[in-house]
Amino acid sequence: MVNTEMDADCATFNGASQYVLDDELAKIVNISMALEMPLLLKGEPGTGKTMLAYAIAESLQMPLIVLNVKSSMKLVEALYQYDTLTRLNDSRFGDSQRDVSDIEAYIRMGKIGQAFTADRRTVLLIDEIDKADTDFQDDMLDVLDQMTFDIIEIDKTVKARQRPVVIITSNAKKDLSDPFLGRCNFHHIAFPDPAMMRRIIRVHFKDLDETLMENAITAFYQLRDIDAVEKKPATRELINWIRALTVDPDFKPKRLVKGELPYLGVLFKKSGDLERANQTVRRRRLF
Amino acid sequence: MFVPFFYQLRDAQIPVSPTAFLTLQRALKRGLVTSLADFYTAARSILIKSERYFDRFDQIFAHHFEGAELPEVEAFELDAIARAMLEQWLQHPKELADALGMSEAELQRLSPEELIEYFKARLKDQDGRHDGGNRWIGTGGTSPVGHAGYHPEGMRVGGVSRNKSAVKVAMERRYKDYSLSGPLTQAMVGEALKRLRNLIPSGPKDQVNVDESIYQTMKNGGEIEIVFDRSLKDRLKVILAIDNGGWSMDPYVTLVQTLFDYSRAQFKELKTYFFHNTIYDTLWADPARYRQPKSIRELTRLDPETRLIVVGDASMAPYELMAADGSIHIEERSGRPSLEILKGLSETFRHSAWLNPVPARLWPYTQTISVIGEIFPMFELSIDGLEKAVNHLMSKN
Repeated sequence: MVNTEMDADCATFNGASQYVLDDELAKIVNISMALEMPLLLKGEPGTGKTMLAYAIAESLQMPLIVLNVKSSMKLVEALYQYDTLTRLNDSRFGDSQRDVSDIEAYIRMGKIGQAFTADRRTVLLIDEIDKADTDFQDDMLDVLDQMTFDIIEIDKTVKARQRPVVIITSNAKKDLSDPFLGRCNFHHIAFPDPAMMRRIIRVHFKDLDETLMENAITAFYQLRDIDAVEKKPATRELINWIRALTVDPDFKPKRLVKGELPYLGVLFKKSGDLERANQTVRRRRLF
Repeated sequence: MFVPFFYQLRDAQIPVSPTAFLTLQRALKRGLVTSLADFYTAARSILIKSERYFDRFDQIFAHHFEGAELPEVEAFELDAIARAMLEQWLQHPKELADALGMSEAELQRLSPEELIEYFKARLKDQDGRHDGGNRWIGTGGTSPVGHAGYHPEGMRVGGVSRNKSAVKVAMERRYKDYSLSGPLTQAMVGEALKRLRNLIPSGPKDQVNVDESIYQTMKNGGEIEIVFDRSLKDRLKVILAIDNGGWSMDPYVTLVQTLFDYSRAQFKELKTYFFHNTIYDTLWADPARYRQPKSIRELTRLDPETRLIVVGDASMAPYELMAADGSIHIEERSGRPSLEILKGLSETFRHSAWLNPVPARLWPYTQTISVIGEIFPMFELSIDGLEKAVNHLMSKN
């Protein structure tokens, strides 16, 4: 790992117990941390974008804060919430310890707010940013750039005590807005090739039968090639599938080669896709 | 440092901002980069903001640091065109031979590489001279519907490697599939079509917005204030008309149909029809264009708010479009030129779009594309194009 003259407190990232990291990605993570820039990760579902943040947090032993972006989300929700309902309740019934005249007692930090006010440096994962609209994205980057935000109700500015390590993920094939991209480092995670997949499976299944693994991975990549499937099976599905195959006492790995593929429902989650997969598998066996 | 590299990237039309370049300098200054491999990784993650440019970046990088042969920007495009055309003509070797002005026997002696070189030379040659419909680039009157027969021996298209040595990683061109000129994948179209969701508020204001009501009540100092919202309804009706007639449309028919079928749930109504080359009096509900005819006149009785989406290459012989009896199918002789029918359709449905799988830069070479482009707003069947098309279809007027 390249770690020459970085600050002493700026640890580097080498991968974690459940995550298979390629060299290139490790370098990118380290550069982003050193430059204090958010890292934007793109790639199709199942390439481990979200898992990377968990792995960074684990390996650097920093707390992880996850902001799951939703389409209807407003930026202020990610920063803080003014709990008006509790305040109304307190003012009508007055049975709490809080001081109703003190608005600050009713401000709760959102995920970004928590990352800013934490005592330690944290990893902030902003998951699936593409779900939100462009304004949200740009405004959020402003906040992350300045590392401050205002709480309007009490006219107070919150400043980050420690700059969090920011990881942003996006599934979109479409590009995000230019100002947004300008402030991030970017990496695209390609779908793992069979060799990488073997390493990933090894990490998850320490003592898996070699033939089973080979046959399952071969079958998996063939199944991914089926046309017109809405949701292609990804790494997560493969892991679950292998888990299903290993717990079935009647299952013999040899059968996979013959085209007998049980539990396709684990791999294909949409009924249309499952039907298509079943058809294709059946047809192949006839030949 | 590396200023020429920066300008080379920009010359290759990769959007690299000066700010990003300064960030890269910051990374260099802080000693984060100690080898060329580090520089490759750092430069790419800092400068390049989309995987679509990774491939181009790889090529420029290899060129700059190892002196690898750099394909001219023009060659990026020519390669793709040449390959596509060759694939088409493989079906009809005689046509290819005629078009290149050599005999079939001569043609068979050429290796695929030689053929492509020869072909590109001819292509460049004619670029300057013609701009109308011409048999090189458009399909100028040839509607290859039958199958010509055999393949010239040993001919193979695809996998023509241009560059052999240089910085290994960069030269592997791992991101080729993601580059702008790469093929349109299903996932990409699916992403763009998601934008078809028409969530324009339409119903009456009859839903209580609980959050907003509470908030407004608080602002009112506890006086109850109830806020109503319109219920969001997706009332989009879509007619999809697909040209499933020729070789050029083959890769896209299933793709487009599948995607629209998947998104069927979000439309109030989705009707799919088929036609060949252009629309005359009838559209067909069955892909064979035989059993279930649908008269155009019936379509005009439909809700004019229906979105009409035509998918086709709009490439045909001009007479098919302009002549009164232009159809190449004898049973479709209607007495009205297709051009008028198309105009009628675009007047009936004010939200309409024509999606064309032919890359936009080739449109000027085919006369019928320009003509149809004047009737229907035409968009490329690519992510950018689809998105523009969807924006157009969603616009209020």
